[in-house]
Amino acid sequence: MSHTVLICDDAIFMRTMVGDILTQAGFEIVGEAETGLQAVEKYQQLRPDLVTMDIVMPDMGGIDAVREITKLDPRARILMCSAMGQQALVVEAIQAGAKDFVVKPFQPSRVLEAVQRVLGG
Amino acid sequence: MDQNRYAELFLTESRDNLSAINHSLLELERTPDATAPVGALFRAVHTVKGMSATMGYTAVAELSHELENLLDEVRRGARRVTPTLMDLLFQSADALEQAIELAVAGRDAGASGLPILSRLRALASASSSDAASDSVALEPPPGSGVLVRVEQDADTPMRGVRAFLAVERARSIGDVAGVSPSLEALQGERFGTTFLIRLDTDLADEEIARTIMAAGGVQRVLVDRGGGFSSSTESTPPPQSDATAMQAAFAAEAAQPRQHRYVRIDLQRLDVLLNLIGELVITRGRLQQLAASLADSALDETVTQASRLITDLQDGIMSSRMVPAWQIFDRFPRLVRDAARSVGKQVSLEIEGQDVELDRSVLDEIGDPIVHLLRNAIDHGLEMPDERVAAGKPSAGRLSLTAARDRSAIVIRVTDDGRGIDRERVLARARELGLDEASRGDLSDEDVLRLISRPGFSTARTVSALSGRGVGIDVVSSRIRALGGTVEIRSVQGEGTQVTVRLPVTLAIVRALLARVAGETYAIPMTHVNETVHLDEGARRTVKGREVFVLRDEVLPLVYLRERVRLPGRDGNGGQVVVIEVAERRAGLVVDELTGQQEIVIKPYDTVLGGVSLFSGATILGDGVPSLILDVSSLL
Repeated sequence: MSHTVLICDDAIFMRTMVGDILTQAGFEIVGEAETGLQAVEKYQQLRPDLVTMDIVMPDMGGIDAVREITKLDPRARILMCSAMGQQALVVEAIQAGAKDFVVKPFQPSRVLEAVQRVLGG
Repeated sequence: MDQNRYAELFLTESRDNLSAINHSLLELERTPDATAPVGALFRAVHTVKGMSATMGYTAVAELSHELENLLDEVRRGARRVTPTLMDLLFQSADALEQAIELAVAGRDAGASGLPILSRLRALASASSSDAASDSVALEPPPGSGVLVRVEQDADTPMRGVRAFLAVERARSIGDVAGVSPSLEALQGERFGTTFLIRLDTDLADEEIARTIMAAGGVQRVLVDRGGGFSSSTESTPPPQSDATAMQAAFAAEAAQPRQHRYVRIDLQRLDVLLNLIGELVITRGRLQQLAASLADSALDETVTQASRLITDLQDGIMSSRMVPAWQIFDRFPRLVRDAARSVGKQVSLEIEGQDVELDRSVLDEIGDPIVHLLRNAIDHGLEMPDERVAAGKPSAGRLSLTAARDRSAIVIRVTDDGRGIDRERVLARARELGLDEASRGDLSDEDVLRLISRPGFSTARTVSALSGRGVGIDVVSSRIRALGGTVEIRSVQGEGTQVTVRLPVTLAIVRALLARVAGETYAIPMTHVNETVHLDEGARRTVKGREVFVLRDEVLPLVYLRERVRLPGRDGNGGQVVVIEVAERRAGLVVDELTGQQEIVIKPYDTVLGGVSLFSGATILGDGVPSLILDVSSLL
């Protein structure tokens, strides 16, 4: 079985790109979320093997979503997607329970490395 | 990466975000202390930054990065929202829009030299001057346990966070007694590429190294048990091989299509469909005529069924072309703000009916006329703040733009509470232009307002950068009429002006009444037809030398189509009167006979003669004969 992934980002552009990178590497995208709230709801519903989480999203930000998801499932494997200049937020996300992070602009190889680390650890 | 595929997505989504940025800026300007607009701004700019960096549009990425830094300061309360800052933000939004369009057009470098970039940097840089320094000495942290030396890849993004992750990993296998440099320095990326962890753990060197490597971005991990760094683990190359293996293993599953609720369609394809359905509608008319002449019941039934399907197909295609009005209304708040500022006026704009849907072809055409109307209202209608206060009005002028659906028409209204149209000035201008009506003493207010729709009419006292030279209601009026619509103006001096634009929902296919005069068939759009009656001789009168027709209690002027189109022959008895109406003005149009109603497809039509044309377009009828479509407003 391929690993299932939930992609959380408020930009379709980013969701498409992350989705393409992961689909090409053999992952199955089982859901997409545009807000933190949706991310939590869909996590509960889909229980994916991996979540990619944008930090800045409407409704509920990515970090709060990580907190909520980790509450639901302490073993949730969440990969943060961050932009340059968000060091402090990434640290906060990791403290909240995220396992790893990638930095935009995304390079497919870096995304896949990070995904491997998250799934392997 | 397939640039084209993403470029389209990038552009669409960036435009949405730009629109959000402009809205939030306007909101922020109104309520400088509110936090919500700053948050929304930050999010939108941030999204643009992420997307543009990924696309490799460096100019856009840089600009949005600087803008984001500035907004972050505002968000944290470190910078106050001042008019100067607002101006800079508005200019940045414009520059961002330009940079995006340029980047997508393949001219990314063009925007990088923008002066706005250096202004943003100059403002934002003050706080973040302490750069990462490599000179921090690596003192082994005291305490018990082994000393772990972690060497990072220099090109790993966010090495500070990676270092933090490495320390977290170390914590998962033992006690971290100390870190050098400090954890704060690590997180702030104020270190070279190497740092030390004092770790108390039972695990073997290899296990320690493996765990810390998994933090990512680590080149080498060395463990010192007191006798120097003995155990060394080199980083294996990135697990590219794993990915490749997975790719092969799950290639079949990857082929699964992903579900989308929307597809983006090239407008040209929709236009092709529309043209085809137009031809089909014409063919249907022909088919119906043929079937009627053959009087075969089986054929009739089939034609009726085909006809119904064609109608459904037509509805389907038309509805796929419908777009909400906000797609063009969206840019108006910003436009109104800029226009008002440039003439020193205060304006509060209200927009209603953003969700009203209209055909793409109409939407594309009404943008400019609405811009004209809004600018006219700001430039000529609304008074200066002191003038308004002196007149007992609030200093900010009220301007409203509404869109509503009224049967098969779209009604767009632009209303202001300004000074209204000055009757005397209009008349003076009309005399200047040598218009006959100006000398008549009995002109009603309505007649006066109608004068300003005349081509070449403009009463602007001064030419401003906004409304241009003599471009006024007259231009809007002729544009709208060319689209088969009407313009109606109401104005009360001292209280304001309302311009109502009425347009067909679609410009492509309309329902028309077919009327014959001297053997020629003309199409009259049903939107302007009130009713039809027989020309009863007893109801015909002559008032002040003009022929009129009494319908119930109303006296309608009669217009003979035969005379207007200059066809030979005389109008005898037994003609038909089509009661036409445009903007609450009515008249009786006399024709020989009526031959029914039909959906007609409007074909592009070029007027050969200059001036006002009697026709707004042409069409092909069911029998294959071309017919001209009457511009009803030109008959009144």
